[in-house]
Amino acid sequence: MGLLDALLGKRKVAGPAPDRLFALTTAYVDLESAQGITTRGSAGIVFQQIATADFREIVSDTQELLQGTGKDTGSTVEISDDEFGYKWVVVRDPDLEDLVVSVNTVADNLSVGGYGDRILAAVFAFEDAQKQPLYLIYNYKRGTWYPFAPAPGDKQRATERELQLKAQIGAGLPMEADLARWFPLWGIPI
Amino acid sequence: MARPSPFGRDTGLQSRMLLTMFLLGLVYVIFVGVLFAAGASAVLIIVIAGGLFLGQLFASDKLALHAMGAKEVTPAEAPELHAMIDRLCVQADLPKPKVAVADTPMPNAFAMGRSQKSATVCATTGLMQLLSPTELEGVIGHELTHIINRDVVIMTVASFFASIASMITQFGFFFGGGYGSSDDDDGPSWAFVILVSTLVYVISFLLMQALSRYREFAADRGSAVITGRPSGLASALLKISGVNERIPTQDLRQAAQMQAFFIAPVGKQVANLFATHPPLEQRIARLERLESQLQGTAIASAA
Repeated sequence: MGLLDALLGKRKVAGPAPDRLFALTTAYVDLESAQGITTRGSAGIVFQQIATADFREIVSDTQELLQGTGKDTGSTVEISDDEFGYKWVVVRDPDLEDLVVSVNTVADNLSVGGYGDRILAAVFAFEDAQKQPLYLIYNYKRGTWYPFAPAPGDKQRATERELQLKAQIGAGLPMEADLARWFPLWGIPI
Repeated sequence: MARPSPFGRDTGLQSRMLLTMFLLGLVYVIFVGVLFAAGASAVLIIVIAGGLFLGQLFASDKLALHAMGAKEVTPAEAPELHAMIDRLCVQADLPKPKVAVADTPMPNAFAMGRSQKSATVCATTGLMQLLSPTELEGVIGHELTHIINRDVVIMTVASFFASIASMITQFGFFFGGGYGSSDDDDGPSWAFVILVSTLVYVISFLLMQALSRYREFAADRGSAVITGRPSGLASALLKISGVNERIPTQDLRQAAQMQAFFIAPVGKQVANLFATHPPLEQRIARLERLESQLQGTAIASAA
């Protein structure tokens, strides 16, 4: 977003940043062995829904495709709407690598269909040794990761835990440096 | 591989905006030239006004929030609004602004702040009660686009010289002949400076109103691009304006100064040329065109 664009009030939605989704698969090896943080066997990708015919078609085609490949890998797919009107494609599979591949399939299909700029984030559900839920969120606009640890109570987050997690993951994942962009996602359906 | 953005570009809007800014700049350059020719006291006025300008730039958001009776709210106090803004900020790739709520039945929203980092988005309780989540999202998208486009800074800068001109006009008329008596020096007389100032004020006022209208169009468009739902904002505008025209007048005086930053103007708009916001029908028509571009049913020439 240059100065001239701002002066002229041009507005384009940023498309997906260079893809660093797959960094999770290598980072997870460390996360599991050194920190005792394990996948809860589910991941989701959240995007705005657009009320056009071809958009609906892409979403249902993607669901069919994932259900087809799911027969081999054993993963299941659900599509749901959340209270904010966003769509979630949720994949369940005990193998993290399968989850990453499935999430990437959804993102690819939307991008090829011209709706790549509607993707918000991918979310992967984990738990630590104390069985506390943790999420790693991948921001598609910026190509960065950040942790999200909900705390007990209404819409509270365990910031200390998130900062620890950032340090524990270290250089394994491209982390979002700007803490103001660690946007929470409440009501994650996984 | 990715198809081009379904919304295309609005080259016409951008060129009109550029032309308006150019004309505004031209008027100001001529004005400064005349002021310098008139001598040192005019330069002094610029220095004083410059101080005022900086004060305005740095304090205007707090003043405006205070004038509206708006209070910053935490995520715990307004969870839905915060969550909605969180998601739109991800989508717009924008750092999260402060969120404020004004407790008034008048449905409106505005954005304040000179930079993306120090911005505040404010919605009234009336707005949140009136609109559905989709419509509210359209309005918030509009305000976020104002922040992205730095509209507060641009309009403050644009109004800087206009306020100097108006100061000189008032000052000059007030003190009348006091300065005009020394007409025998080389520079132009005070009467001439006052005349020029008045002209500058009138012209720049009209240009500024035009610029403000263009930026409203741009913000509507930006909202449609961010949310992907042009019709949501259109429906919100229809709802808001239906209510705003029946607003009791005691709010109007207080609201009048804030006019330029509102999502929709308060009260009846006088005439096209003097309005800070474009007429509702034009805004709706443009949003409808964006919706048909999105649906792929637009006529090719509409882009």
